[in-house]
Amino acid sequence: MTMLRVRDLGVRFGGLVALNNVSLDLNRGEILGLIGPNGAGKTTLFNCISGLTPPTEGSILFEGRSLRFAPPHERARRGIARTFQNLQLWESMTVLENLEVPMDAVVGRRNTFSDALGLPLSHYAERAASERARAILHVLELDGYGSRLAGDLPAGIQRRVELGRALAMRPKLVLLDEPAAGLDAGETERLASLLRTVRDRFHVSMLLVDHDMSLVMRVCDYIYVLDFGKVLARGRPADVRSDRKVIAAYLGEATPELAEPAEEAPVVVAAEGPKRLKAPPTNGHGPPSNEAPLLEVSGLAAGYGHLEVIRDVNLVVRPGEVVACIGANGAGKTTTLRAISGVIHARSGSVLFDGHKITGSSPESIARTGLAHIPEGRGLFPTMSVEDTLRLATDSTGARVKLEAAYEVFPRLKQRRHQAVGTLSGGEQQMVAMARAILARPRLLMIDEMSQGLAPTIVRQLFQMIDVFRQQGTAVLLVEQFVESALAVADRAYVFEHGTIAHEAAAEELRRDRNLISGSYLGSTATETAAIEVAANGNGHKPHPELMEIVSMRVPAEIKRALEERADLEGRPVGALALELLEEVKQ
Amino acid sequence: MMPGHIVRFAVALVAFAILARLPVGLDGAFQFDAALALIWAFGILSIVLLTGYAGQVSLCQATFAGVGAYGAGMVVASLHGGYLLGIVVGVLFAMALGVLVGLPALRLHGITLAIVTLGIALVFDKYVFQDHLFDWFTGGTAGWQVANASILGIKVDYSKHLLAAYDILLALFCITAVLMVNLHQSGAGRRFRAIRDSEVAASTMGVNLTRYKLLAFAMSAGIAGLGGSFYPLIAGSVSPQPFWVFTSLQLAAIGVLMGVRYVPAAALGGLFMAVVPDVLTRYGHGAFMGRVYDISNDWFQIALGLLLIAQLILLPDGVWGDLRNHAARIRSALPGAARKQVRPA
Repeated sequence: MTMLRVRDLGVRFGGLVALNNVSLDLNRGEILGLIGPNGAGKTTLFNCISGLTPPTEGSILFEGRSLRFAPPHERARRGIARTFQNLQLWESMTVLENLEVPMDAVVGRRNTFSDALGLPLSHYAERAASERARAILHVLELDGYGSRLAGDLPAGIQRRVELGRALAMRPKLVLLDEPAAGLDAGETERLASLLRTVRDRFHVSMLLVDHDMSLVMRVCDYIYVLDFGKVLARGRPADVRSDRKVIAAYLGEATPELAEPAEEAPVVVAAEGPKRLKAPPTNGHGPPSNEAPLLEVSGLAAGYGHLEVIRDVNLVVRPGEVVACIGANGAGKTTTLRAISGVIHARSGSVLFDGHKITGSSPESIARTGLAHIPEGRGLFPTMSVEDTLRLATDSTGARVKLEAAYEVFPRLKQRRHQAVGTLSGGEQQMVAMARAILARPRLLMIDEMSQGLAPTIVRQLFQMIDVFRQQGTAVLLVEQFVESALAVADRAYVFEHGTIAHEAAAEELRRDRNLISGSYLGSTATETAAIEVAANGNGHKPHPELMEIVSMRVPAEIKRALEERADLEGRPVGALALELLEEVKQ
Repeated sequence: MMPGHIVRFAVALVAFAILARLPVGLDGAFQFDAALALIWAFGILSIVLLTGYAGQVSLCQATFAGVGAYGAGMVVASLHGGYLLGIVVGVLFAMALGVLVGLPALRLHGITLAIVTLGIALVFDKYVFQDHLFDWFTGGTAGWQVANASILGIKVDYSKHLLAAYDILLALFCITAVLMVNLHQSGAGRRFRAIRDSEVAASTMGVNLTRYKLLAFAMSAGIAGLGGSFYPLIAGSVSPQPFWVFTSLQLAAIGVLMGVRYVPAAALGGLFMAVVPDVLTRYGHGAFMGRVYDISNDWFQIALGLLLIAQLILLPDGVWGDLRNHAARIRSALPGAARKQVRPA
């Protein structure tokens, strides 16, 4: 039975199409996965379902009723709960209180005045709520945390508390937005088994968004893939993983000769963990590796608030070298760049640039030493003209440089030099950002997600620029989602997984070994066996969505058993049988 | 009643017993200050509820108090009603205005909400309290004269019998304070705090934002109005001056200074706001070592600004809040002390 039915959903923010014609069905008792590259519209879809973003067109039906005019709290009351990508716990309240709020907001009807007076009515409701909250904490193995302030807990625990809070309102559907963000491999493993326990014990359906494919592949019954606001593919985990379109969306278009994985490709690192290649890079244009490193990062750890996003990151960039950082979203690539350029503080470890320690220096003084950082989203001023933007860059370095140097590399910008940056196309904006960076004559240029949201032709041009930088002797550290293109231009690459570097190899080797990369993006093959085990839950039965429905209707145990026996005899699924019987009863 | 309720009630009773004796024997002007302190304490208490609990910013709390004062004055002086009725009407007027002010808060946050509420305070100051259009409500330029009003059978003359008014106000304040602490630890209080910490999470977890934001504004305005409605009783008349824009700003500043999340901070703040300027004007001039000095009321504003800066750096949780936290830390460091969670109340 379809619990959530999304039809032709569209969301526009001004000219930007965030969702376009998305349709999706979620059955009762199912864990549905929703994946896709950054900006694909996953969180927007979540916001539409939970009522935070009104859809421009299309409809959402929950249990057969339209959600169109229901405000968020009304949807909560109907049984839709959610968690948030950027933890939204009530931080100044205790864990127990965090669970009690949805409990009496949704379940119990209480009176503000009897609360203030402390009347018996409130007293009993209070006691019941805190007992139920404790029971939920027990299931989630959070027993000791009840009276701790939610804001004081580490991120991993906070994620579990958020799940507990969602469960506290007795939901029918839980929307999980990146529950594995910021967790390491072991914690993700535990989360996967926890999610299954929760589905079975609380009889909830789930819609799960996560960038950690090992989690999604392992937990989900069915997967939808979004790209550029559209449903790109859907199917069972194994089908989705081998879907060409999906791989292309994640890794970029593969060049034909590389599409077939080479048979004898040297596997750099197997599942046992990080290992470093000391051998010099083998591709022709690489500089000699015995040169003193320009950038040397060792043991770097950084994060935001309670989240520790990267830990123990070690990487080296030599003068004139192009190095790519690749890996799934949320693996810690952007955070690494930010910690290097001083935008966020490193929690431990050190960054040496040209032999000088720059950890703890301010971003502007780091920039002055010749380390330029083009952030994700480019960091431009939309109302400033192209020429002013470039002039600002040269002014801030002290020495006045001729803008011609930039116009030579990007002739297109010369034509548009009086235009406001905000009116340029995305590709041209990226050119402005790169031009601004090279005018400062950096020795190392760090570019974060250069090709994000851009058309393939533009992306190709931008990558050619990187080659130009190399010829000028500028080292480049790239964070890139189009793995193929990045590896084509890079000398070496670091593969990020779970906030640290899992592999390091020459770009050439990684290109030959596509399995390794698609493993770190779409969940490694090692977890495939686990996925099969998961299909059966604790008591050895594969959960039937239909059966879950019967279970949640509190059918007496004898009837359930009788149903199962009869299903065995007739060789049909229990759920189908049960629904058939229900129909008969209704008639 | 839960044990917590009994403890809170007992603490309030003891506080009442001590505080009621405080202004006894002081001269009339100081007794007036003591009563005024309680009126401002109500004003700060309303900020504790609105800002400290529900996280909404308002810079027009003195306006609510003013509406309460004028409402009470109108009933007593113009309609010849009893003072109790005046208080009820004053509070209801204030609550109605609170709901109106709360409407923009459904859409606005932080600095924009602060500016809108400041605008409301300005508009009421200039175009309601001082405009002939609203003479029926404000009693014209002269304001309402309510000398010789009586409450609960006690005849309060603003120059005498101030203690009676003070006691009634103090009793009301203690009751309201206990109710506020109860609220903090109960369902509705948790919903307020949920809105303060994360509105998005609150709404998706089933908290009706419209309802609880308006409720917070209405209750807060009601509390401010309750204090304000006693103003004609103790001062003998109402005028726009005590409830002008600057008072609202002062209430907010002193609320933050003392600890905007804590109920007892309201009492501290009220005392500070009523007594310190008066002491300064009275004793703040003279000669010291041959030099004439004059620390008038103006100095109070400057000192308040400096104190606020110092507090934000040294005592980020407010004077009361940090005292509390330090006390709790010392208590838990003592040998044999059971570790207890510090909870704001």
